[in-house]
Amino acid sequence: MHRPVEQGPILTRIEDYFAGRFVAMASPCSVLIDSDDHDEAAALVEIAANEALRIEHKFSRYRGDNIVHEINHAAGKPVTVDDETAHLLDYANTCWEISEGLFDITSGVLRRIWKFDGGHKVPGKQAVEECLRHVGWPRVTWQDKTLTMPAGMEIDLGGIGKEYAVDRAAALLAARTQSSCVVNFGGDMYVGGLRSDGRTWSVGIDDPARTGKAALYRLDLARAGLATSGDARRFVRWRGKRLGHILNPKTGWPVRGAPSSVTVVASTCLEAGTLSTLALLQGPEARGFLEQQNVQFWIV
Amino acid sequence: MQLEGSPGSSLRERLNKAALALLLVPAAAAAADQPTTQIDTTTLYYGEQNRVQVVEPVVRATRLFGDGQILSAQLAVDLITGSSPTGALPSGVPQSITSPSGKVSSTPAGAIPTTKFQDHRGGLDADWQTPIGKYFASTLGVHASREKDYQSLGVTGKVSAEMFQRTVTVTAGGGYNWDSVFPVGGTPIGLSDGSEVTNGKNSKRVETFLFGVSRVMSRRWLLGLDASRTLERGYLTEPYKVISLVSFRSESPIGQLTDNRPASRARSSLLASSVYHLDQDIIYSSYRYYKDSWGIRSNTVDASYRHDLDDGWYLEPHARYYHQTAADFFTFGIVAGLAPPEYATADYRLGQLTTMTLGLTFAFHVDDSPALWTVRADYIRQAGSGTAPDNLGAANTFDLNPAINTISLVVGYSFNL
Repeated sequence: MHRPVEQGPILTRIEDYFAGRFVAMASPCSVLIDSDDHDEAAALVEIAANEALRIEHKFSRYRGDNIVHEINHAAGKPVTVDDETAHLLDYANTCWEISEGLFDITSGVLRRIWKFDGGHKVPGKQAVEECLRHVGWPRVTWQDKTLTMPAGMEIDLGGIGKEYAVDRAAALLAARTQSSCVVNFGGDMYVGGLRSDGRTWSVGIDDPARTGKAALYRLDLARAGLATSGDARRFVRWRGKRLGHILNPKTGWPVRGAPSSVTVVASTCLEAGTLSTLALLQGPEARGFLEQQNVQFWIV
Repeated sequence: MQLEGSPGSSLRERLNKAALALLLVPAAAAAADQPTTQIDTTTLYYGEQNRVQVVEPVVRATRLFGDGQILSAQLAVDLITGSSPTGALPSGVPQSITSPSGKVSSTPAGAIPTTKFQDHRGGLDADWQTPIGKYFASTLGVHASREKDYQSLGVTGKVSAEMFQRTVTVTAGGGYNWDSVFPVGGTPIGLSDGSEVTNGKNSKRVETFLFGVSRVMSRRWLLGLDASRTLERGYLTEPYKVISLVSFRSESPIGQLTDNRPASRARSSLLASSVYHLDQDIIYSSYRYYKDSWGIRSNTVDASYRHDLDDGWYLEPHARYYHQTAADFFTFGIVAGLAPPEYATADYRLGQLTTMTLGLTFAFHVDDSPALWTVRADYIRQAGSGTAPDNLGAANTFDLNPAINTISLVVGYSFNL
């Protein structure tokens, strides 16, 4: 059957800037460019889209041809990684340390037993214990760019990949143009400076329960990273309570009493994303945690 | 990245340092693109009830380079066995038919005469796609295939351009084929009793032109319009097909003549297609109009609905309706004694025909492997609908258009190297 070829990014003129849209990392992505030059805007959107796809390709755990697949299927053998992967693992290691083990890139295997589809199914004690035997960053040996992980364990860089891609794409754009740009990959974004007339960019934060329908807040940002963690639509019901999808790698259970979503503004998207995730992992102490970090934040 | 303010805690400080260490790695070092290779393998089984059976394994390798170039090569092998209608009419008595190669076959009374055959076909295709600047891309292809009595060599070329902020893609291209037909036992003279043959190859040349436009109508909707024109010249006859010779007086055919078709055929088609993305699912639909200089007109309506399940699995039901009118020179039989026509065929594929297809595709992964399996099953019901003129004796007392039921099954497996 005949199928027209799917298109690349779509560029549209909105008032006095360009907006390029595409889909990457299973999210709607957009790049706003404060420029009158259509060709320049098209080229910049292309650069951002290529970078998003490159990072998705390299670090997605759903592919069979990348470094994450190699690590997850090494069956106990050491894997030596390239510089970029090494820096990401170093970053993940720091996150594990500063969160006292709550932020753990090996906790993804818990998703095999937890389905956050709004149902009532909670895994049994034995299943959780069995699964936790394959979780734990301290079980991984990470030194000299070489990672050795026991068979059955997996790493998942999804928790930092999208924010990393936003900052990377923003850096590539900043190296290419003087025009101010906003990079927004599925709600995680970086705003790259004041617009040419001195105005700030105005950014809407969605109500997590009604994505795409209502902007809950409007923020005026000049140069900052912004990220939101949490998804009010992903939960499981247990004893009359809703348990959100953020899993505690120590207990194997969802973090109880966590807000449904946290938005943080920081100097980079990566930091904003990490702080918002760390906040959710604190459960009911999310607000106190963020207040200590001296950042702008919103809790829903 | 700009450093902002002073982090408010040691946690913030460490995080900030770690983020900068990660983000200050030169982007160029990170951006080195690795070429990837995708392998698609499919095996097709196509089985017409009591007729042709085809098994076709195909292997396709596609290599994507970091600079946007795509190179692909495909190897296909067809194993065909079974029987196909000769074109002769059923008869009230058992018929014995001698083929041009001297084989004798017999057909029970009232049945459509068929001949058994067996063939292998091997085909090799290669395509090279390369971007030209920001908005253009070209594709060049070569093709070669060979079977017992047919050889095909071809080249294709295509240029596409993206315009209007990449919402419109225009494609123009063409192809040329050098084919040869060398029937087993020689080439029978057209509209003869088949006893006289010429030896050697018969050539067939095919020129194809195509032009297409696709346009993004909205974030969810893509529309395409494609026109194509094909000119065929040379030996276009089916050497193994025959037409019954009927007399006014006889109840049964009294003999048969060989098929004879014009030496040129101009085909035109227009295809409108649409892809509409719902929140999760995708609706594909298309309509095709076709006409050719032999008098065949056809309409095809095709629709499928892709329903995405979790983890990249999907289910895609599919339906297709096809109807064609008969070629001007299609006939069920030729009356002996009348002046014979210049061209004639009784090949049911050039008669009035309706085909309905219902199918389902299911795609899935096994365990956590990203390699994709697809299984597609189609049920195809094909039926002619013409009636023989009254002067063809008793022919109309038989079913001249028995429906053919076909099952087609395709199993595909795709993975990256």
